[in-house]
Amino acid sequence: MALLRSYSCASSGMGVANQCKDTFLELQRKKTHRYVIFKIDEKLKEVVVEKTGGTAESYNDFVSSLPENDCRYAIYDFDFVTQENCQKSKIFFIAWSPSMSRIRAKMLYATSKALFRQELDGVHYEIQATDPTEMDIEVIRDRAH
Amino acid sequence: MYGGDEVSAIVIDLGSHTCKAGYAGEDAPKAVFPSVVGSIEQQEVVNGTKFEKESESMSDLKAGLKGLDSEKAKTKRKLYVGSQALGFRRDHMEVISPFQEGVVADWDIVDNIWAHAFKDRLLIDPMEHPMLLAEPTSNAPQQRERMAEILFENYKVPALFVAKNAVLTSFASGRATSLVVDSGGGSTTVAPVQDGYVLQKGVATSPIGGEFLTECMMKSLESKGIIFKPRYSFKRKEARPGDFQTIDLDFPNTTERYKLYSQRLIASDIKECVCRAPDTPYDESAYANIPMTPYELPDGQIIEIGADRFKIPDILFNPSLVQTIPGMENFIDSSPVRGLPQMVIESINKCDVDIRRELFSSILLSGGTASMQQLKERLEKDLMEESPQAARVKVLASGNATERRFSVWIGGSILASLGSFQQMWFSKGEYEEHGASYIQRKCP
Repeated sequence: MALLRSYSCASSGMGVANQCKDTFLELQRKKTHRYVIFKIDEKLKEVVVEKTGGTAESYNDFVSSLPENDCRYAIYDFDFVTQENCQKSKIFFIAWSPSMSRIRAKMLYATSKALFRQELDGVHYEIQATDPTEMDIEVIRDRAH
Repeated sequence: MYGGDEVSAIVIDLGSHTCKAGYAGEDAPKAVFPSVVGSIEQQEVVNGTKFEKESESMSDLKAGLKGLDSEKAKTKRKLYVGSQALGFRRDHMEVISPFQEGVVADWDIVDNIWAHAFKDRLLIDPMEHPMLLAEPTSNAPQQRERMAEILFENYKVPALFVAKNAVLTSFASGRATSLVVDSGGGSTTVAPVQDGYVLQKGVATSPIGGEFLTECMMKSLESKGIIFKPRYSFKRKEARPGDFQTIDLDFPNTTERYKLYSQRLIASDIKECVCRAPDTPYDESAYANIPMTPYELPDGQIIEIGADRFKIPDILFNPSLVQTIPGMENFIDSSPVRGLPQMVIESINKCDVDIRRELFSSILLSGGTASMQQLKERLEKDLMEESPQAARVKVLASGNATERRFSVWIGGSILASLGSFQQMWFSKGEYEEHGASYIQRKCP
């Protein structure tokens, strides 16, 4: 293996599908999506796009499309207006691993996160959430300001 | 690169108190046995082979490494590994531990413990299975190289991976960044983990672990006139149905350390049965009148435990309480020891400002002592009072006691069973090509 990953730590060696990067770029540059949800396909040994949400969808739509008992990665494009009345947008990376999910899933997503996260260039904030309160809209707003 | 998904890996977490070993992919370790071993010095061994024939669980020195260990040459000794071999009293048997201050000091004992795990408990041939080992969070590079050497040279394992305790716990809870509070048998370690790496500058340790609390429990009860009779020192007979008689037995050749070991087993059980962390700092007068809890000792005596139920666990939070326990007064003088909440705050404050907030909201509990009742609630409460206002304190612990106690092992078990992990192993081929120091690059 020529590509010895020096940053490997206890990582899982998971790959990332090109489609993930492309979808992320669409969200970042073209603003065609409000959010993107990624999942790990264990058979393919890579991260794939599970779902994208249109720009009209709300934060609640996004939260409700995360499974209650399984882990996911997600990107959310948060638009807001600052006190100076300036339109701004911040991109959030969310590692969703609810306490209800199986340990195996938690392990899989936690060990693959570093590699996956590196593929997505231009994320402003990162959030780890194990229950909905940790990624409440207030938390997001608080971090963005 | 090692592609070994066809055979399952073996996962070993050798803690300071218990060794956990089992097959990767399972949800609990198959073998759990003490990390201490019995040892009898052999005055004159005419030929070692005589002993080799003896019995299964008594692993002999000869089975281990030959010539690799320099320190083993001193005196011949016979080691007894495993709960059963250790549970049987023998004349002149000492109880010794491979650890000194949290790191391995005697590799010969470790070697015997591994041999016991492979041959007697898991019944596997180490040549056929990749091994994932959990190591103490602040393990030195030389320690892991030594470990790799022994496993590759003596056991001819096909592949190896070493992961830090704190990292495994953190991953098993689904977080790559967290503050792991690992309170085990021999010590308590607080370690910040960021994206799967331990931030060494923030690691805090204290010698107060389960064994220390057990010792305090024993001293405190002894000062109240309770005598712990080791299980081997008496026999119980049923004179009439429901009526037992205790007959004392005398074994003058039992070593002091073995006696202490047996007494600690009892004290440790008392601790596990009755103790719970108090909701507020322990106060002698407030707990003076609390109801007593009965406990039946192995010899049939029924003792009553009152304030100690709360006082002993509170030592974790307030180590200076030790001074009020007869026989333990000198402990604090030697080294300043902080309580759990102070350790957590100090550890977080040593980390970068950007991640402090994240650490405060993902404090993970792991280890046997951390499974104490109400410990999570108390730690959370104390931290809320002492942490900066903006921080959202959240202490997480698995609701399941097994998961909490074995979180390190379970983390290793799942990691080693992930299909995509198989390319990460440090293989025998790589060891032969690059040497033991290559482990620092493969398993940083």
